[in-house]
Amino acid sequence: MSNVAQDNATNLKIIARDVKVFYGQAEAVKGISMDIAQNEVVAFIGPSGCGKSTFLRCFNRMNDTIEHCRVTGLIEMAGLNIHDPALDVVQLRAQVGMVFQKPNPFPKSIYENIAYGPKLHGLAERKADLDDIVESSLRRAGLWNEVKDRLDQPGTGLSGGQQQRLCIARTIAVSPEVILMDEPCSALDPIATSIIEELIDELKQNFTIVMVTHNMQQAARVSDKTAFFHLGELVEMGPTNELFTNPQNKRTEDYITGRYG
Amino acid sequence: MKVAEPLIKPVITAGTVQQKVNASLARRHRKERVFKSFGLAAVLASLALVLILFINIFSKGLPAFWQSAITLDIYFDPQVVNISEKPVQAANESDNAFRQRDIEWQTEVGFINFNRLITDSLEKVLPDARQHRRDLQRIVTSGERFALRDMVVQDPGIIGQTRTLHLLTDANIDVWLKGNIDRSLPDAMQQLSPKMREWVQQLSEQGLIQNRFSFALFMNADSRSSLASAGLAGAFMGSLYMMLVVIVLAVPMGVAAAIYLEEFAPKNRFTDFVEVNINNLAAVPSIVFGLLGASVFIGWFNLPMSAPIVGGLVLSLMTLPTVIIATRSTLKAIPPSIRQAALGLGASKMQAIFHHVLPLAIPGILTGAILGVAQALGEAAPLLLIGMKSFVASVPGSPFDQSTALPVQIFLWQGNELRNFFEARTSAAIIVLLALMISLNALAIWLRKKYEKRW
Repeated sequence: MSNVAQDNATNLKIIARDVKVFYGQAEAVKGISMDIAQNEVVAFIGPSGCGKSTFLRCFNRMNDTIEHCRVTGLIEMAGLNIHDPALDVVQLRAQVGMVFQKPNPFPKSIYENIAYGPKLHGLAERKADLDDIVESSLRRAGLWNEVKDRLDQPGTGLSGGQQQRLCIARTIAVSPEVILMDEPCSALDPIATSIIEELIDELKQNFTIVMVTHNMQQAARVSDKTAFFHLGELVEMGPTNELFTNPQNKRTEDYITGRYG
Repeated sequence: MKVAEPLIKPVITAGTVQQKVNASLARRHRKERVFKSFGLAAVLASLALVLILFINIFSKGLPAFWQSAITLDIYFDPQVVNISEKPVQAANESDNAFRQRDIEWQTEVGFINFNRLITDSLEKVLPDARQHRRDLQRIVTSGERFALRDMVVQDPGIIGQTRTLHLLTDANIDVWLKGNIDRSLPDAMQQLSPKMREWVQQLSEQGLIQNRFSFALFMNADSRSSLASAGLAGAFMGSLYMMLVVIVLAVPMGVAAAIYLEEFAPKNRFTDFVEVNINNLAAVPSIVFGLLGASVFIGWFNLPMSAPIVGGLVLSLMTLPTVIIATRSTLKAIPPSIRQAALGLGASKMQAIFHHVLPLAIPGILTGAILGVAQALGEAAPLLLIGMKSFVASVPGSPFDQSTALPVQIFLWQGNELRNFFEARTSAAIIVLLALMISLNALAIWLRKKYEKRW
């Protein structure tokens, strides 16, 4: 399964050290350290309110948009400190794409949805380049054959699963290095979910993927490593097979066997 | 596993629940029926009131769009219109010198007694009225002589020719013919002398005096000497200039303020304070804005009195909170997921707002702005305090000229002494204002439909 998950420090994509997140006075993430290697799929699991989504949103600094939210600690993305004042958050977000819980296509055409990011960052010089980016992004998201005849139709007119794949295509159109997925399948039916899961399996050849999920089977199916969060702490992180078959921590064991959560 | 004893015994058994529910059903249904009928009655009552209002205004106002006019063959007698030739600018003549000559010529035309042309023509259709030339002059409203003068100024070649014209009759003749005065009143209480009434009767029977569409109502400014030709053009242009000022000032400022407050401003005591005061501002009586305008814009900034620019500024102040509140509530209603999607792709906050949030908010913003403008259009109270209720007999050529406004014109006509003529004219002015308002609202609805998108 995991062909690159060697413990090689030069291969580390994301390094987090003692990351804490505060909402006003409340501490939502209590000093988490974590290493994520390149082309790895990491799943975050844990009961609701355990801080896994909040922690995920640290990686592209989406927490900046929330008022009274404060992040401390060190996060390095490909060797760069993401809180470095010299680093523009726009640079970071071009490098770290995000797929949200609820499919949120722009109320524009399918083409415009994909083309927005490349246009924003000036990735395409000519219209033909842009067309190529749109086509390849939709192909990689497995959506091309379904929408190639109606690229000018609104993206909001697609089904839920198609909309989520459109959002994934939109994210990969700017060629990020890391894709964050915040419960990408929680609003989808089982068939759409399995399509997205297959997609994630293909995408990991090119991208590092960090996903939050409530579905432990999903974590077991798609991820190389799994991290279990509880009450704002990282309880345990390890190769997915090991974590599910031989959890080291009592809390992890209780959670994955369904005793709470 | 053994079945556990229920720890808590049910307080009410299932049977009693059914009984109690059945007992209360009739009461619940009755309450619902009473509430529904109250609602329906309220709707019907308000509809009836609106209907009464409209029937009243339209039955009074519509006849004023048609007005008595007399058809006369006017001979532009060269002996009466005895003027020198219209000046033409010579090749080597300066603009100023030519203007000087032109003004002199126009003054010369102004001294001509055009009433004589009208009276001469009236004599031909009323031969036995020859010895009452003074009275004859009163048949046609006094403003029409200026129409003849303008014709000559425009084309002096008309002198020596005969033209068939429809001239407005005096307002009192219109009142008499429309039956807006009790004809059984004694002569002393009638506005028209018995002789005049006889002439009018004759002319109507000959078909020379007829009800014709009143272009004067739309083309002329207000008048006090020639009541029959008093029109709305001055007030209409005044209102138009004010609305331009409101659209140029209040709408962009309001939208910008709302975007800043909603999207960029930090939430702290200062912005809370600003927000509370914007809401307070929306509740300030409009006449207070008039006082403010009088002291600030006229008193400090020395802007002209009675000018649409001041009226527009005052109405902008009044409209600003409406626009801000409408825009903010529209922005609040845009789902945050759209903003997140844009931010997640690396758009800056400003790009996320301008590329994605604003296009979705446009229908709401436009609706708010147009409703604010419509509210400003119908406002009279603040304008009374900045001198816009003065009588202005000319159409303003710029926002800095003296002018009045449609709602104020309604107020002015409503108080005119010649009640039985101006009652209808007032209602006609109300119809024009209502038509303008309905068009603005229709525009708001159309824009809303046009830009509305699903998300």
